[in-house]
Amino acid sequence: MIRLPTTIEAALEHSTTHDVRAGGTDIQERRNHGRRMRPVLDLRDIPGLDKIERDGEGLKIGARVRLAELAEDPWVRERYPALAKGAASLGNPQIRAVATLGGNLLQAPRCAYYRDPEVQCLKSGGSECWARQGDHLWHVCFATRPCIAPHASTMGMVLAAYDATVSVAGGAARSVEELYDIGDTLRDHTLDEGVLLTHINLPRPWSAEQGSYMRATSRARAEWALVEVVVRLRLDRWESIVDARVAVGAVANTPLRLREVERLLIGNVVNEPLFVAAGEKATEGAQPLEDTAYKVELLRASVFDALNAAVVSPPSPLIDAPDEDGSEGESKGSSQ
Amino acid sequence: MTTGTTRRGFLRGTALITVGGGVAASGCKTTALESEGTHAPAVEADGASVDTVPVECEVNGQKEALRVGGDRLALDVLRDDLELRGAKRSCGHGACGACTVQVDGRPVVSCLMPAVALHGRSVTTVEGLAKGSDGLHPVQRAFIGEDALQCGFCTSGFVVESAAFYDRWRKEKGAAVPSDEEIAEALSGHLCRCGAYLSIYRAVAAACRGDYDEPGGDGPRYEARDKVTGAAKYTVDVALPQMAHAKILRSPYAAAELRSLDWSAALDVPGVLGVVELLNAPASVRYVGQEILAIAAETEEIAARALSAVEIDWRIKNHVLSIEAAMAEDAPVVFPRGEARRSPANHSEGPALPMVWRGNLRGPGKLFSHRRGLARWTGRDGNHKAEVQGRYRTQTQVHTCLEPHACVARWGASGGLEVWMSTQAVRHMAEDLAERFGLKVSEVEVHADHIGGGFGSKATLRPEAIAAVELARVTLRPVRLVLDRREEMTVAGLRPQVRTDLRAALGKADDLAIKARAYADGGAAIGSATTPLMRVMYPQSRLDLQDFDVTTNTPPGCPFRGPGGPSAFFALESSIDELAHTTGDDPIELRRRWNQNEARRRVYDWAEALPAWKDRSEPQHDRGRYRRGVGLAAAVWLYLTMPGSRVKLDAGPGGIVVSTATQDIGTGTRSLLADVVASGLGIDRRRVSVEIGSSRAVHGPMSAGSRTASTVGPAAEDALRLLKEELLEVAQTKLRMRRAWAVPEGVRDSARFLSWAELLDESPVITVVGKRRRDRGGFFAPPIDGLAVGRYLSAAVQVSQVEVDILLGKVRVLQSWTGLSVGRIYNPLLARSQVEGGLIQGMSYALYEERRLDPRRGFLVTAGLEDYRIAGIGDCGPIHVEFIPGGFENVEGGGVGIGELSTLTPLPTIANAVWHATGWRPRRMPLRPDRVLEGLNS
Repeated sequence: MIRLPTTIEAALEHSTTHDVRAGGTDIQERRNHGRRMRPVLDLRDIPGLDKIERDGEGLKIGARVRLAELAEDPWVRERYPALAKGAASLGNPQIRAVATLGGNLLQAPRCAYYRDPEVQCLKSGGSECWARQGDHLWHVCFATRPCIAPHASTMGMVLAAYDATVSVAGGAARSVEELYDIGDTLRDHTLDEGVLLTHINLPRPWSAEQGSYMRATSRARAEWALVEVVVRLRLDRWESIVDARVAVGAVANTPLRLREVERLLIGNVVNEPLFVAAGEKATEGAQPLEDTAYKVELLRASVFDALNAAVVSPPSPLIDAPDEDGSEGESKGSSQ
Repeated sequence: MTTGTTRRGFLRGTALITVGGGVAASGCKTTALESEGTHAPAVEADGASVDTVPVECEVNGQKEALRVGGDRLALDVLRDDLELRGAKRSCGHGACGACTVQVDGRPVVSCLMPAVALHGRSVTTVEGLAKGSDGLHPVQRAFIGEDALQCGFCTSGFVVESAAFYDRWRKEKGAAVPSDEEIAEALSGHLCRCGAYLSIYRAVAAACRGDYDEPGGDGPRYEARDKVTGAAKYTVDVALPQMAHAKILRSPYAAAELRSLDWSAALDVPGVLGVVELLNAPASVRYVGQEILAIAAETEEIAARALSAVEIDWRIKNHVLSIEAAMAEDAPVVFPRGEARRSPANHSEGPALPMVWRGNLRGPGKLFSHRRGLARWTGRDGNHKAEVQGRYRTQTQVHTCLEPHACVARWGASGGLEVWMSTQAVRHMAEDLAERFGLKVSEVEVHADHIGGGFGSKATLRPEAIAAVELARVTLRPVRLVLDRREEMTVAGLRPQVRTDLRAALGKADDLAIKARAYADGGAAIGSATTPLMRVMYPQSRLDLQDFDVTTNTPPGCPFRGPGGPSAFFALESSIDELAHTTGDDPIELRRRWNQNEARRRVYDWAEALPAWKDRSEPQHDRGRYRRGVGLAAAVWLYLTMPGSRVKLDAGPGGIVVSTATQDIGTGTRSLLADVVASGLGIDRRRVSVEIGSSRAVHGPMSAGSRTASTVGPAAEDALRLLKEELLEVAQTKLRMRRAWAVPEGVRDSARFLSWAELLDESPVITVVGKRRRDRGGFFAPPIDGLAVGRYLSAAVQVSQVEVDILLGKVRVLQSWTGLSVGRIYNPLLARSQVEGGLIQGMSYALYEERRLDPRRGFLVTAGLEDYRIAGIGDCGPIHVEFIPGGFENVEGGGVGIGELSTLTPLPTIANAVWHATGWRPRRMPLRPDRVLEGLNS
C-alpha cells in the first residue's frame, strides 16, 4: 500500500498510520529486512519540499532536497562551506543522489543489532542492549544513554554547528539541537509521531567563515565515521578567533555541539597548543565502553585536524553589514 | 621438493555432508496457485491509498508506463519488469554500487531508490549508455582496453558511474586527465572483490584523456564486451517461465537439538508450492545459520513469509564460539565422539587425514616436521645467535563474492536435470548432482556462463543448490534460490581464523629452527593447514610443526584462495624479519642462506636489485606524525594441475570453436583458450569462439587451486598440435601438396606456402580433442581423482611501502612491488590483473576485513558490506608487478598458476613495513585503528 499525498495537510492525515518516506535510502533498507512495515506515505508529490531558497538573509532548505544537490549548490558552497563539505562527505555519491536532507536528519541508527530482524534490542521492543553486552567496537564513547548506538546523521551534526532550526508541520519549530535533545529516552529525535519535518532553516551566513569537516575511518572513503567533526571559525586579521562552532558525531547517541571547546577557542590566537587543548577539551566527559576507548583518542586527533583544516581553508565572502547586526548573539556573548 | 600433501577430489563430497544424510521429507501442493503480487490492478481506496501507482518514465530512450507498489525498488522494476539485468543486486544497502543506474544523468543507488521516484525521470542503464558506431561508450571501450574487470559482476555499476563522471568531466575540463584522487572520489561507492581497481584507474583516466574516443580493438579479455555492456548473464540473471522462488530456514541458535519439525502450516500459506527438509530431525545444529529446510513459492516474499510458519521444537544447548573457549577444560563439544566426527566439512585444499580428537581439539598434524628433535633443541641450549617468538592471529575472512551463491534448477519431462549455478566447477557439480539424485552424468547439465566471484567458496555442491534441485523436483517447476547478503556473509564462505604460536631461532651457522603450533578455528569444519607451508618454504630447516583444528559453534569454513597461506606466511615471514633485525642480517641475504630453490632465488635476486628496497631508510627513521616504512616478505605456493583434462577444437572454414567443461570465474580462461588457439594458428581471435561454462563439454578442470591455466593451456596446445596434423593431411590429400611439411605458420612444399588460416578455409570441419599431458619427469604426487601436485613451486617476493598516521591509527599502503617466478605467462595483461587482485585482497584482509559475531550468541554482526569492510578503490596505491622469466621448463606449457601465490605476501609485508616505520610489530590482523593506537601506545 502506498499513498502519494499532494499537500502537507493530506500527508498529516495519514502520517501516524504510515511510514513516511522521502528519499528512501534508510527506510527501504529497514523495510527490506522487515522492520517498520506499515503502508508507505511517500512525500514525492508535495510541492515546495525540494528547493533551496534564500529566506531573508538566511536559507530555507526543503526536507526533500537531495544531499548531492545541497553539496553542489553554489550559494551553499560559497556561504556555508562546512555544510557543503559535510553533505559531500557522507555515504557515497549514489546514496547522496537519492538521500534527502530531511531523511538524513531523521534516520535510524546503524547499530547492527538494531538492524538485525531477528534481534529485539532496547529500541525494537526488547529488554536489553545487545551491543553493550556484545559487539560494540563502533559504538559510542560518550555512553551516557541507554542506547549506545552512535547517531548516524552527519547533517544533524553539521546543522547543529550552524544554529539551524527545523520547521515542523503539525508541531513546533525547533533548533536542531532541540531536535536531538532526547534526554534519557530511546528516541532518535524529539519529533512526535505523525508530524512532518518540512524545512531546515539556516541563519544568515557568517562573513569570512572558514569551515571544515573531518571524519576518521579505517578505509579511505565511503565508510561510516568512527568519529566526525565539523568546525566553523571566523578569524580577525590578527588570526584571533572571533567566533567558533564545533560539533562532533559518531561518538554519542546524538550529535554533540561542543560549547566548551568553542569558548576555549574564541578570543584566542590560532596556534598549535590552542588546538591541542581544544582536542583535549573535546574529550571531556567521555564515557567509553569496553571497546571504544580508542574513539576518545580519535576524537582528540580529529578535532585538532579539523581546526587545522579550517584555518587553511579559504574564507567565505566578506559581508558588508557589520557583524554586530548579526544573529549569532549567543556565542558573541560568550566571547566578551 | 618437499611437500608431501596428496590431493584428492577433496572439494567434492564435503558439502554433501554438510546438509546431513539427505533430504528427509518434502511436500508440495497439488494445485499451483494463481500468480499474485506485482501486477495486481490498482485498488483505489478513499481516493488516495492504493496497492500500486502508475509510473511513467523514460528508460534508455524508450517511454515506459509501469505500475509499481510502495516497496518496489527501481532495481526491481528494471531487472524484473523491463528485463534489463545489467544492474545487479549485490549488497542490498547501497554500499557496493553494483546496482547503479543513471537517473537524469546522475548515478543513483537503485537497490534503495523507490520505483515511484522514477516518475517523470529519464533512466539510463548500462545497456543504454550513449553509443558510438561500435555500440560502445568511450568508458566501455576503456574498460575493455585496459582490462578494468575480472569476474564482471560489479562492472556494470563501475561503467555507469564512470560514464557519468566522464560525460561531466569532458564537458567541464576537456581532455585534461583526472587524478587518481578525483577518480577514487567519483567511484568511492563501488566495490570490486576481484580487485580490478588499478586498471579501473587506468581506464577512467585514459577515457578522459581521449584515448578511447574512437572505436578500437577488442582488448585482452575475450568476454569483456559482454561484461561492460551488461550482456553477460550470471546465474542470478536466469529467469525461466513458471519459475518459482525459494528461501532457506536457518538455525537461530549456535548449538541446539532439532527435536521435531512441522511445516504443514507453511505449506498452507497461499502461494507456497513446496517444502524440502535439509536436516533430519532429530539432529544436532552446530551454528547460527545452519540450513534446516527450504520453501518454494510464487515469489521470494511469500517464501520468506512462509518460513515463519514452520514450527520447530528445539532443545537449546551450550555453545563455544572462540578458540580459547573451545579448548577450555569442560567446554561443550561441537562434534562428540563417533559418527559425528566424520561429518565436518574440510576447509583446506588437501585431504583431511585421520587424526586424534580431544574434545574440540583435533590433531596434531605433524607430518611436515623435519629434524624435529633438533628443532626442539635449537633455541633451548643457548647456542644460537637469536631467538624470537610470538603469537600471531589472523581473523575470519568472508569470501564476499559480489554475486551471491545462486542456483536455478529445472527438471526435464524425461527426467533430465538442468541446473544454472554460480560455481567454480561445472563438471564436478554435474557429477555430484548425478550421484546424489541417482542420474547418469549425461542426464545432468550444469551451466555457468559467468560467475560473479568464487575465491574457493563456489567449488562444492552446497545446500542452496541441493534445495533448489529438490524443490524443483517436488514442485514440478523451475526453482530459483539466491542467497541474500546476510546469508552470504553468514555461511557462504569463510576463511578460518588461526592462532599461530611460533618460535624461531637462528643458529651460529645461520641455520634456522622453527617451532610452530597453529590452531585453526574453521567453525564446524576442519582442515588446518598452516604449518605445512613452513616446510614448503624453508624445507632444509629444523622444523617442529603441529597443526590443530579447533571446532566451534560457528559456520563452517571452506577453502579460500591460498588456504592456510596468509596465516602461515604472516607468522613465518614476520618472524624471519624479526630475526634479521635482531642480528642485523640483511633479510634477503638471510633467506638466501636457507634456499636451494631456483624460483625463490630468482625472486630474491629481483628484490635485492629493487630501488625501493635497496634505498630504504633505517628502521624508525621518521619521527613525526606520519611515519613511513618498507617491509619485505616472500612466499611459495604449490603447483597443481589436472592431467587428463581435455580441450576440443571444431575447426573449419567458418572458424574454430574451442570447448571444454570448465568455467571462467574472472581469471581469464576464455581469453587464454582463444589466445592459444588464435596465436598458434596465426589467425584473428575473432575467428575463435570459446564455449565453456557447460558440464556437457569434454572433461575440463574446476577453477580452484590455481590450476586452470596450467591445465587448459597445455591441453589447448595439444589440440592445436593434433589440428595441425590434420590440416597437413588436408594439404597433402585434398590440396595435392603431397610432399608438404609443416612450418610454424602453416604448411609448405617446394612450390608454395599455405598459412593455417588459408588451409582452414579449404578444409572440411575437423574435430580434435587435446589432452593435458604429464610433465616431463612426472609429478611430485601422482594424480588422485585427476588432480596432480607438480614437482615445482612458484615463488613471490613483495616489498610494500606503508605510511602510519600515529594519531588516527591509520595504516595505508602507499605503493608495493611484487616479483613472481611462475614461468610462462599466457597473457601478461590478464595475469597482471589477477595478481593485482590477489595483492589487493591480501591488503584488504590485512587492514580492514573481519567477520564479527555476537560474542554471546554467535550470530553475525557484520552482516553487510557496510560493516564487513573490503578495500575500495581509494585504498589502493600503485602496485608494480613483475613476472620474472625463467624456469619451469619441464612443466607442460611452461607455466604454473598465479591465483593463490599473489595473495600470500601482503600480511607479512605490511606488518614488517609497520614495524620498520614505527618499531611496533603487529601480530594480530586486521590493523584496525584501535589496534594500531594500542600497539603504538604499548
